[in-house]
Amino acid sequence: MGSITLKQVTKSFDDNHVIRPLDLEIEEGEFVVFVGPSGCGKSTLLRIIAGLEDVTSGEISIDGADATHMPPGKRGLAMVFQSYALYPHMTVRNNIAFPLKRAKLEKNIIEQKVNQISNVLNLTDYLDRLPGQLSGGQRQRVAIGRAIVREPSAFLFDEPLSNLDASLRVNMRLEISQLHKDLKTTMIYVTHDQVEAMTMADKIVVLNAGKIEQIGSPLDLYDNPINKFVAGFIGSPKMNFITMTMDTNPEVDSIGVRPEHFNISDTEGTWKGTVGVAECLGSETYLYVQIPDIGQLTIRTDGNCPFKYGDTIFLSVDSENVYYFAKNGTCIPLD
Amino acid sequence: MATNNSKTLARMMVTPAVILLLIWMLIPLGMTIYFSFLDYNLFGDGENKFIGLLNYEFFLTDPAFVDSFFNTLILMTGVLFITLVGGTGLAILLDQAIYGRNIVRIMVLAPFFVMPTVSALVWKNMFMNPVNGIFAYISTTFGFEPIDFFTHIPLTSIIIIVSWQWLPFASLILLTAIQSLDREQLEAAELDGAGKFCRFRFMVLPHLSRAMTAVVLIETIFLLSIFAEIFVTTQGGPGNASTNITYLIYTQSLLEYDVGMGSAGGLIAVVLANIVAVFLMRMIGKNIEG
Ligand SMILES: Nc1ncnc2c1ncn2[C@@H]1O[C@H](COP(=O)(O)OP(=O)(O)OP(=O)(O)O)[C@@H](O)[C@H]1O
Ligand SMILES: [Mg+2]
Repeated sequence: MGSITLKQVTKSFDDNHVIRPLDLEIEEGEFVVFVGPSGCGKSTLLRIIAGLEDVTSGEISIDGADATHMPPGKRGLAMVFQSYALYPHMTVRNNIAFPLKRAKLEKNIIEQKVNQISNVLNLTDYLDRLPGQLSGGQRQRVAIGRAIVREPSAFLFDEPLSNLDASLRVNMRLEISQLHKDLKTTMIYVTHDQVEAMTMADKIVVLNAGKIEQIGSPLDLYDNPINKFVAGFIGSPKMNFITMTMDTNPEVDSIGVRPEHFNISDTEGTWKGTVGVAECLGSETYLYVQIPDIGQLTIRTDGNCPFKYGDTIFLSVDSENVYYFAKNGTCIPLD
Repeated sequence: MATNNSKTLARMMVTPAVILLLIWMLIPLGMTIYFSFLDYNLFGDGENKFIGLLNYEFFLTDPAFVDSFFNTLILMTGVLFITLVGGTGLAILLDQAIYGRNIVRIMVLAPFFVMPTVSALVWKNMFMNPVNGIFAYISTTFGFEPIDFFTHIPLTSIIIIVSWQWLPFASLILLTAIQSLDREQLEAAELDGAGKFCRFRFMVLPHLSRAMTAVVLIETIFLLSIFAEIFVTTQGGPGNASTNITYLIYTQSLLEYDVGMGSAGGLIAVVLANIVAVFLMRMIGKNIEG
């Protein structure tokens, strides 16, 4: 239960083609993360899968059955919204029980399930409160509880953690990952957060302007991006792009180097530059280095980095860590 | 108003307004109370003797009083019921993305801008008239006896007219409330398997409860003192069938030039209105706080 297939799905709002023809296969039990720049259609795609938006053309099937025109309530999917979308005038207990009541389960079964879920999510003490009397993290947990209590065939999350503070976000991220391990249910997760995408996903779908740029496992995308967009999007801080031509391969228009792949030296190297801002995070340091004729490069290095503002340093990179890009952006494998 | 400091300041700031209001209201109220104890008739001998509670006794023991009291309540609850139910329905309709929605909204609002006397006249002469009215025309077209609205169902007819006037108000308030409902909540409910009716019952209705409370409280104030519609159409008749307390005070005092009796009736109306208000507040006031 929980495989979802999109075939040539498109979506337009009037003249605005938000989703271009798009094929996507989501397998049972997978944790799929949608990433992409703001406005690229991630939420729209999620809402199409949920049935909250109609497709303009194309087909959706869930568990092998055609679901293109199935109403949302019949698809057996549960969604967790960014705003949580809890029912404000119902207690936590009734919020969680709401989908079960709609499914017309028996009273004692409902109560049993609600209690079980609230145990799992540490909500037992808050069952009789209204959502307005809860903290952000607790609300998030209620929203998740309301989703899992129905035992859906897949979960849809639209930036569920973006309203939480940093430490809570880490906790909830782990909780959701743990939940996925326990339930083994398909999850589709939209996020802006690199760390969330890299750590939680079995499979990342990189979207750009309504098109899929690349699909793959996190490390696959990190190691083998197929184009400049994916290379720049996956990884934080961003990959550095340096425009240059090569004699050996006339197609190459620019190269890319990830911030963590530079070798720093104070005596010799390929590029010579001046350290601008140095951001010390304790465990690591980001150096923003100005290189004449090239511009600014971001370098990531150890926590106890001796360089500071104004220092002159030399940078080089091992050839296996360099990505080559053609003029149209595609990545050229060189060996 | 969180701190003690800001509370004191707030109190000082509102004091002048409160004092002004008190003077504004207390002097007329005091005079009314004073007059209500006098035998004060404009055609009398001008002695204006003190007669104690006699005015009150006359007003309360008037057989028309009980009738008019219940008529007031029926009129109020009838209009409240129609405007709340109809207003909710209209608000939901107006919330749909239909073509020309803005114009429709303005047209729905229109009755609110028509003066009570005018709308009562329009209803009386153009709709409910047993000879020339549209309803009579429709009845005769289908071979029925036309209803003589103001003779046979006078109070119902007035309820219809007043509801027509207040429906826009209720619709407008409820429409703004509906528009402030979080769409994601409805979508979440849809995903949870709630049908249209369920979503209305569990999401929309609770969300509207505050706005409904406001509509009830505001309308009640005006509905307790309906006058023009009765004056223009039935004149309180036939008999006392459509006399409410406001109209009773008018017939008892103004038509008789009896200031004392009018004052006593007015005060009784004030007390009754307060009882209704306290009752309403008790019943639905917690909605506003919550
Ligand atoms: N109901 C709508 N009517 C018209 N255009 C819409 C509608 N919903 C979304 N769009 C447009 O579709 C595009 C994609 O929106 P979407 O919400 O899917 O982006 P997103 O990838 O989720 O962005 P973000 O990361 O900022 O949430 C945007 O350009 C948006 O303006
Ligand atoms: Mg979005």
